Amino acid sequence: MKRRDFLAAASASVLPVLVDGFGLKAMNRQSALVQSLLQTSAAYTDRVLVIVYLNGGNDGLNTVIPLDQYSAYSALRSNIAIPQNKVLALSGNDTTGLHPAMTGMRTMYDAGKLSIVHSVSYPSPDQSHYRSTDIWMTAVDATQYETSGWAGRYLENRFPGYPAGYPSANMEDPLAIQIGYLTSTALLGSQQSMGIALNDPQSFYNLVGSGDPTSPTDIPCCDAGDRITFIRKQQALSVGYATEIKRAADAGQNLATYPIATDKNYLADQLKIVARLIHGGLKTKIYFVSLGGFDTHSGQVNTSDTTLGGHATLLGNLSTAIATFQEDLRLQGTEDKVVGMTFSEFGRRANSNNSKGTDHGVAAPMFVFGTSVKPRTVGQNPNLSDLAGTGTNKDIKMQIDFRRVYTDVLSDWFGTAHATTDTLLYRNFPTVSLFSDMVESVASGSWHDINTWSVGRVPFLTEYVRVNAGHIVTAGQNVSVKRLRLEGQLKFTGPYSVRFS
Amino acid sequence: MSGLTLYETPLTAKTAAHLLRRATFGPTQADITAFTTLTATQAVQLLISNANYSPAVPVDLDSTKTTFQQTYLDKPFNGDRNFDFGHYLRYWWLGLMTSQTVQPTLLEKLTLFWQNHFVTTREVVDDFRFVNRYLLLLRNNALGNFKTLVIEISKDPAMLRYLNGNENEVGKPNENYARELQELFTVGAFDPAGNKNYIEDDVKAAARVLTGWKYTNYWTQGSTSFATTFTPTKHDTSPKVFSASYSNTTITTPTSPPVGKTTGDVELEALVTMLLSHSQTARFICRKLYRWYVNPIVTQAAEDNVIAPLATLFVTPTDTGAVSFDIKPIIVKLLTSQAFFDEANIGAMVKSPADLMVGSLRFFNQPVPDMNTDTAAFKNYFDFVFWRMRDMQMPLLDQPSVFGYEAFYQTGYSKIWMNTTTIALRSDFTDAFIWRWFTVKSGYKMGIDLVAWATSLQANFSDVPTTTNPGTPAITCVTVLNAFTLNLYCFDLFQSQKDFLIDTIMMQGIPRTSWEFEWNAYRTAPTNTNKKNAVTWRLQNLMKYMLRMAEYQLC
Repeated sequence: MKRRDFLAAASASVLPVLVDGFGLKAMNRQSALVQSLLQTSAAYTDRVLVIVYLNGGNDGLNTVIPLDQYSAYSALRSNIAIPQNKVLALSGNDTTGLHPAMTGMRTMYDAGKLSIVHSVSYPSPDQSHYRSTDIWMTAVDATQYETSGWAGRYLENRFPGYPAGYPSANMEDPLAIQIGYLTSTALLGSQQSMGIALNDPQSFYNLVGSGDPTSPTDIPCCDAGDRITFIRKQQALSVGYATEIKRAADAGQNLATYPIATDKNYLADQLKIVARLIHGGLKTKIYFVSLGGFDTHSGQVNTSDTTLGGHATLLGNLSTAIATFQEDLRLQGTEDKVVGMTFSEFGRRANSNNSKGTDHGVAAPMFVFGTSVKPRTVGQNPNLSDLAGTGTNKDIKMQIDFRRVYTDVLSDWFGTAHATTDTLLYRNFPTVSLFSDMVESVASGSWHDINTWSVGRVPFLTEYVRVNAGHIVTAGQNVSVKRLRLEGQLKFTGPYSVRFS
Repeated sequence: MSGLTLYETPLTAKTAAHLLRRATFGPTQADITAFTTLTATQAVQLLISNANYSPAVPVDLDSTKTTFQQTYLDKPFNGDRNFDFGHYLRYWWLGLMTSQTVQPTLLEKLTLFWQNHFVTTREVVDDFRFVNRYLLLLRNNALGNFKTLVIEISKDPAMLRYLNGNENEVGKPNENYARELQELFTVGAFDPAGNKNYIEDDVKAAARVLTGWKYTNYWTQGSTSFATTFTPTKHDTSPKVFSASYSNTTITTPTSPPVGKTTGDVELEALVTMLLSHSQTARFICRKLYRWYVNPIVTQAAEDNVIAPLATLFVTPTDTGAVSFDIKPIIVKLLTSQAFFDEANIGAMVKSPADLMVGSLRFFNQPVPDMNTDTAAFKNYFDFVFWRMRDMQMPLLDQPSVFGYEAFYQTGYSKIWMNTTTIALRSDFTDAFIWRWFTVKSGYKMGIDLVAWATSLQANFSDVPTTTNPGTPAITCVTVLNAFTLNLYCFDLFQSQKDFLIDTIMMQGIPRTSWEFEWNAYRTAPTNTNKKNAVTWRLQNLMKYMLRMAEYQLC
């Protein structure tokens, strides 16, 4: 925001609200302050987020494999463990590997286009599919209930008043598109979905056509009136967007080679449409795609070869779909304006069960992809000798709260003001430096404590590091970084020093 | 908010249609007429007594096979035809839902409720005999006893397969079924205040109670039977201790079970008894029934005045001879209650794809070809129905997950059926009734003969007024509209909407009297294509628009 705009806004006696950092939600969306805050995002207007939902609870421990603890890994799940020599090695990272089916995503990692966020979950994890999915999609504490989704709240804040007046001159395209027939909770605003469902652009246009005359707006009372108002608005939106979507689909092209139909890679099919619409110039901010089948209680690997089977097929499809999509964006020249992230409602038990499967668990890795993501790892491999639970019921503990990832997406990718992000997520979560070269301190503590740092691990010697104001970081040995900026304090407990690489 | 007090007003066409739209997949005009003037009690008793528990069994619908039109459930398992035979079960069931030759019954919609409650799917179960036994278990017990149903479904081969119960063994538990049994089938995860109804350890304890159940002959080529078995050596015989959520109940393995029962049966019954003793179980089921039949949005008043007393009645029935957890008394109570007939609940639901499609086929009298004698046409008819229902997000017997169809549990509820894409698919379906491009069989095009309908409204069709003959006047636009809207929607249209439909949609801005000229021109020369097209076009515009209206999407 320009200084002049800010002063104009602040003069409307709403300054305390801003200083407070909260309460924007309570303000009129049309207020000068909110409007001018929205314009701070002007530089980010063409940025796109692709959310990839892995439905069912992905087995993180067979997706990202802790090579540094291979024997503990193997002991926990001997009937489904991936043989050590089959695990895909990662460039510059000898402690971690990927499932052998994930060659495409391994290449992305090596090229610096894929970030692994380790052991993501939330406090007091829930193991019900329904509830945990809800928690991820609404971005709340396990004890809190909310009907709107996190992405929906962002869009509602960014595009006030939707759907009234949309499509509009400033935003003629859908705010969000879910490929498929339904819209997910993540896209729900306070009143209704902020997104539209779209299975295929061409058939969508053919089915919707150019619309009928609009009938009188009379509505009956009560719930029926509410349903009628809702349906009429959906009808109007479908007609309103059909032409723009068709235009984008006609103008856009897929330049990479996607899997053929007989491969049944449904995620690739969805991402192919997304890439085409992005290339065609659609201004849609958020795309939501999904891949089902991750609830692998049974038979997730083949009897004769644990690198094959149902889970391998899923991960292979995931990896191929995302890698092809990224390649398509590169060829289109749209690579820098798109980031994607995967999530699943929970990880699975560290121990396998007797059915060559895994029951519901807790933490699991997320993937964030695109040319703009900076750290290749956030957090570190789960510590398999420090698991929650006992016996055959051991779970991977959380390192990173998923809302920290959302925070970076909202603030640093979409350019939402920090105070607004905090409001949208109901409180402040520390950054994980997803889009920054700078590793920051997020608390006082030891240099070697992973909880001291935004990236959830000790900074690498190739990284820029900043100790933030108010933090005291203590080092009990020499530390090496690329550059260090001290806004807080660095204390040595002995004759140690910082080395710059 | 009115509660469970009996609704005593004799049914009008509007309230009879409301009952039939909710308790069945939608009425024919004849059904509405037959139910008008009955009391709610009489009407619901009819909907129960009309149920046919021995319908014709499914047959092979593939005319290229030598077994065409033959029954297959009584033959040895044939893996080559497994998909088809499972798929035809859906057509068989859709046939029962859609038939207009039997008296209306609430059985099929209630069976769908249970199937969407105790979900298993054809795709995952993938042995057509298992799917058939499961579906019949639900259908035969739909009005029976809930406790019996929970016990039987827990041992049902399809369910053992769907939620991995067959892989749940001592020392190697598979918790999948134990979790969903509590979260989805009986207790529910949370009470209305958001408190957890049980803890994770209860899932693990229940899984241990349920160890040892298996099924036989899954996908065994040539096998003529299959069964559920209990293997004591696979069963966990140590005590299973539950949390305070279940009053710290301990379930132990009996040393000598009663004759005719396994230790597994005894423990399963103890488990189900414990689950049904939880104070939230009856509420959970009654709330789900309320959402299914009355209104997807549960207000506090509904919770207090309908769901809570219904739950009390579920546990402690007052009907003579009824026992705890009998289903029929609460269905009767709910469907004959003042809450059910409350004006505010009429039209409060978005039609599911089944309500929309089966309901439209019934309302517009699209006869179902006989499965046994007109088999190819029967298949053709339900090919049209099934795949469209699937695209509208309701593949019958193939829910996307164990939670059932999203619109029955997810925030938004029945609104979830409607989005930019499904609206277009719904319009495409109702448009087919207008354009009549789909041929069920030779001489039978699906859809509405609108000109014949209008003709039926015209007295003395050939007696056209001329300069020499006063004749019988033409039917007016209003007459046509009144006939077309009769019982079509849940409530009357506003006058502004009626005027819009006539002036803007039917007449496209020209005077209403023009219709009478055009209609009389057609009466004078009914074989003249141009004259007929002129009136057909107006009627098509009108009905096509009416079926695309938001009002038509509600029930």
